[in-house]
Amino acid sequence: MITLKDKNILVTGASSGIGRQIAIMASELGATVTIVGRNMERLGETISLLTGTGHKMYSIDLSVSSDIDQLITESLPYDGVVFNAGIVEYLPVKFLNDNKISSVFVTNFDSNVILSQKLIKKKLLNKKGSLVFVSSISSKLGVPGTAMYAASKAALSSFSKVLASELASQGIRSNSVCPGIIRTAMTEQASDVVSQEELKKAESEYPLGYGEPSDVGGLIMYLLSDMSKWMTGSDLIIDGGFTLK
Amino acid sequence: MEINIFLQNFADILDDTDAILIKQETVFRDLEEWDSLTALSLIAMADEEYSVKLTGDDIKSSTSLNDIFEIIKNKA
Repeated sequence: MITLKDKNILVTGASSGIGRQIAIMASELGATVTIVGRNMERLGETISLLTGTGHKMYSIDLSVSSDIDQLITESLPYDGVVFNAGIVEYLPVKFLNDNKISSVFVTNFDSNVILSQKLIKKKLLNKKGSLVFVSSISSKLGVPGTAMYAASKAALSSFSKVLASELASQGIRSNSVCPGIIRTAMTEQASDVVSQEELKKAESEYPLGYGEPSDVGGLIMYLLSDMSKWMTGSDLIIDGGFTLK
Repeated sequence: MEINIFLQNFADILDDTDAILIKQETVFRDLEEWDSLTALSLIAMADEEYSVKLTGDDIKSSTSLNDIFEIIKNKA
């Protein structure tokens, strides 16, 4: 039986989608949850959906150093952290420029790396703690137009592996998950660049159809719990069978 | 906004298509080079040149390059 009882868990990108679902599920399993996101209103909605008491929210921008410092200063040591904040940008390589590259990398990679670094340096991770990085199946594919998104997620997966080595002696684990397409507001954004019809057609490539946030949430609950205490440095695909094809 | 400049911008995102084939009435979907990446390039070009967010459905509902031009003009 998976339990997160008495665990203090931090979830970034919790104002919607996968992050919100992770926060809800962790609270249902007994965790005290701190949620972080950029949109105050939607973050408030997330916190109203949590079970139990003592949860905290921070409406901050993790790409701003002083915002991270505020979170760090007010944090108690965590037993688990889910690095979920991320953005997607569809752009052919031909149209890339410095700004486009850094906007994706700062949010998807740099911010997550800096946050984990500060948590470690300030000793805000408990022994036997679990770090989970939300990467993407895109990091293993070559879908046209996803170069920066895919590269930033691949960087995150690699970072998690090195971190797993460096933290193993403290009993702290680090893993990454690579979801296929999950129905969220962010993937709805894909309809900006592909028609609804094409999006529907693409779903037929998924033997089990597109995923729900709770499908990824279930795997992450396992990774946060002590049931996965022998798992570290793994990069786990969860994609409804997409890569079988 | 000028149609000729738009047609030139569109021709520029293509690599293997003779610019002579790029006219107002061209059915872009029938171009041999047209694929999902060309569609993304068209969206990126509309953003870069005209600061217009063209959508997948805008492209889906269009037949000729003139249709695309009209949508961009209306959104600009």
